[in-house]
Amino acid sequence: MSYSDSAKAHFAAELKSIRESGLFKEERFIESPQAARITVKYPWGAPSKEVINLCANNYLGLSSHPEVLDAARAALEVRGFGLSSVRFICGTQDIHHELEQKLTEFLGTEDTVLFPSCMEANVGLFEVMLDKDDAMIADRLVHASIVDGMRLCKAQLYNYKHSNMDHLEEKLQETQACRFRLIITDGVFSMDGDIAQLDKICDLADKYGAFVMVDDSHATGFMGRTGRGTHEHCGVVGRIDVITTTLGKALGGAAGGCVSGRAEIVEMCRQRARPYLFSNTVPPVVVAATLKVLNVISRSTDRRDKLEANTRYFREQMTRVGFDIREGIHPIVPVMLYNATLSQNVARDLYGEGIYVVGFFFPVVPQGQARIRVQISADHEREDLDKAVSAFAKVGQKYNILGKKKDEIIATYGT
Amino acid sequence: MAVHERVKDFFRNELVELQNADLFKEERMICSAQAADILVKYPSGAQPRTVINFCANNYLGLSSHPALIEAAQKGLQERGYGMSSVRFICGTQDIHKELEQKVSEFLGMEDTILYSSCFDANGGVFEALLGEEDALISDELNHASIIDGIRLCKAERHRFKHQDMKDLEHHLKLTQDRRFRLIVTDGAFSMDGVVARLDEISDLAETYDAILMVDDSHATGFIGKTGRGTHEYFDVMDRVDIITTTFGKALGGASGGCVSGSKVFIDILRQRSRPYLFSNTMSPVVVAATIKAIQLLQESTHLRDKLERNATYFRTQIKAAGFEIKEGFHPIVPIMLHDAKLVQDMARELYNEGIYVIGFFYPVVPRGTARIRVQLSAAHEFEHIDRAIAAFTKVGKKLGILPEHPHVSKQER
Repeated sequence: MSYSDSAKAHFAAELKSIRESGLFKEERFIESPQAARITVKYPWGAPSKEVINLCANNYLGLSSHPEVLDAARAALEVRGFGLSSVRFICGTQDIHHELEQKLTEFLGTEDTVLFPSCMEANVGLFEVMLDKDDAMIADRLVHASIVDGMRLCKAQLYNYKHSNMDHLEEKLQETQACRFRLIITDGVFSMDGDIAQLDKICDLADKYGAFVMVDDSHATGFMGRTGRGTHEHCGVVGRIDVITTTLGKALGGAAGGCVSGRAEIVEMCRQRARPYLFSNTVPPVVVAATLKVLNVISRSTDRRDKLEANTRYFREQMTRVGFDIREGIHPIVPVMLYNATLSQNVARDLYGEGIYVVGFFFPVVPQGQARIRVQISADHEREDLDKAVSAFAKVGQKYNILGKKKDEIIATYGT
Repeated sequence: MAVHERVKDFFRNELVELQNADLFKEERMICSAQAADILVKYPSGAQPRTVINFCANNYLGLSSHPALIEAAQKGLQERGYGMSSVRFICGTQDIHKELEQKVSEFLGMEDTILYSSCFDANGGVFEALLGEEDALISDELNHASIIDGIRLCKAERHRFKHQDMKDLEHHLKLTQDRRFRLIVTDGAFSMDGVVARLDEISDLAETYDAILMVDDSHATGFIGKTGRGTHEYFDVMDRVDIITTTFGKALGGASGGCVSGSKVFIDILRQRSRPYLFSNTMSPVVVAATIKAIQLLQESTHLRDKLERNATYFRTQIKAAGFEIKEGFHPIVPIMLHDAKLVQDMARELYNEGIYVIGFFYPVVPRGTARIRVQLSAAHEFEHIDRAIAAFTKVGKKLGILPEHPHVSKQER
């Protein structure tokens, strides 16, 4: 080995400090397909047990849906496993175009281009659209992949306070001299499950001649009456210039993402976006399965309706037993515990009760805002949710946090 | 004018400029699985026709290999379609760990971490390991994903001239006061099909106490006696600290990539690497098939041996036909035509002859070095190669690249 012992020692010390500050991330090994109930081995070497999964982005329960699996199987036979190419060399099948058209229809946009992931879509997008004469005006809490995309773009960067429309307007006034201004927001923010005020954002964009980009990864497929996303929920379909979203959450959950929006911007991504030009095409099996997913959710709103009903039920029950949850309507339900150690203890005890959830704490959420992030799925039955609520109640009682307000929990456990 | 119209106008003009400059990329639609013979609809709306594919990274012919399809089907059946999660929440199956162990074993490294793509692996590796006290020393022709990863990292940036060991040493000397130095190079460079001189680079890394990282995307599975990669070819398997590579080329070609190396690096990446923490886990179907791909390569060198024979045969025949190629032994064979318009004409004419290749020109390669990049596969038979040579010869004559009577001119020489 050529690198010095000091390098090794340095990284070993870093790891030790991550562990000591209680921030070390451990992985749990799942032995079954993704579903409402999964078989997990945790810690590694422990006997496997069945638990109810309350932390997947499997919002519509399509990750192992029989019709989706059938479509995937058929595609493997007819279209093969891999394409071993980027799109523009020999990695475009007719089904890639078909999926792009279907996504365009579903999202109500002009055109769509696929990326290997939404992370790569966000990383590649801004550099293609904007230059140093332009401004990016982003909500402070946008997803990490957007942050990385903005870091790779030469345009001037402005942040506005989370969902604060007055502050956004201030930034729009400050940037009047720029050639183009792009307002950038998540449709739904993944840590709080709160929804961007797209109606107001679009009004401001119109007033100041800016355009709007929304990452709808935690919304596509189920937000809005027919599940088109946050733009449908907020009544602004057709007014969003660029939507990025993922095929890796509600829409089957394997991989893939896209940029969808104004035709010219989408075409520029095909010509210039670096992750599009320099990373593999989406494999045929994912393309075919996603086509099936769109078919399933376009012919009926049953799944998103069930998800909505499940979410309402779980939120009501958790409030009833005395948990402090962030208000809202999204299947992301943050159960607030404020203290990092407490969130890890509660998650561990819940696992003991057969409920799989994960504690989130700094730096993923701000200091003093530790929580359990529950995610509801259309795959959950009432019975699963009832079992989860009683497990939460039992563990909540153990830590004496039921019916306690924020200040009381912090008084006991600190931040 | 409303902003949308302004934006639309602006980008419409940009697109027209690209078209006028012959830089517009058109996609050809494939209606079959990836293979030596594929069914293509081009231009859009034309009747599909069967052509021989000479431009895939399907080096080992595994992209639609029956054993991989079977493993993928089994993966779907037993592990489902998607995980809808990042790794550390609920996106780790036991087979992810199994694949990580298999890759470590195959590459001869301590540990491995999977990413959605090698693009993401390269995008996330530098920032997680290096800070502003450190220096990155990178070959000027490294892949775009390495460049983007470097752009996201705070370490001091140095570029050395392509494959120039003196210049590399110069930059190692310049950066002696840095806490850590990391040398990064592609194992095989995708436009030229040449391999990095890893023997000399590892000597320099040792002399100057630098970390050595290699992106072996165009080598894993087939370069080296048993296909482990460029580090095997140069007999430096224990002297490379970090390897990034892809499962999206020789190893099945669907998606996924990884960083493989000393355990301590991999442990840090699991805690800090942004594309690992913020992008989906690899889907079970890809994990299952990739495990099978590695198993096949460990059982037999048959496929990489066949690829080597095909590459040698094509290189010999195309030279004999009178074409100028970049010398080497890699299945990437650049056929040098030097002129951007000529390569596009050549690629189009070859398509009409049933041979699917692409012309590469500025800005993908330097001005004046336009080329057709041929890529051989173990899926090709000599018959495919013979047909390609005949087509190249025919079109070469038609476009005036080859003399009308090559045998005569050869004798005269």
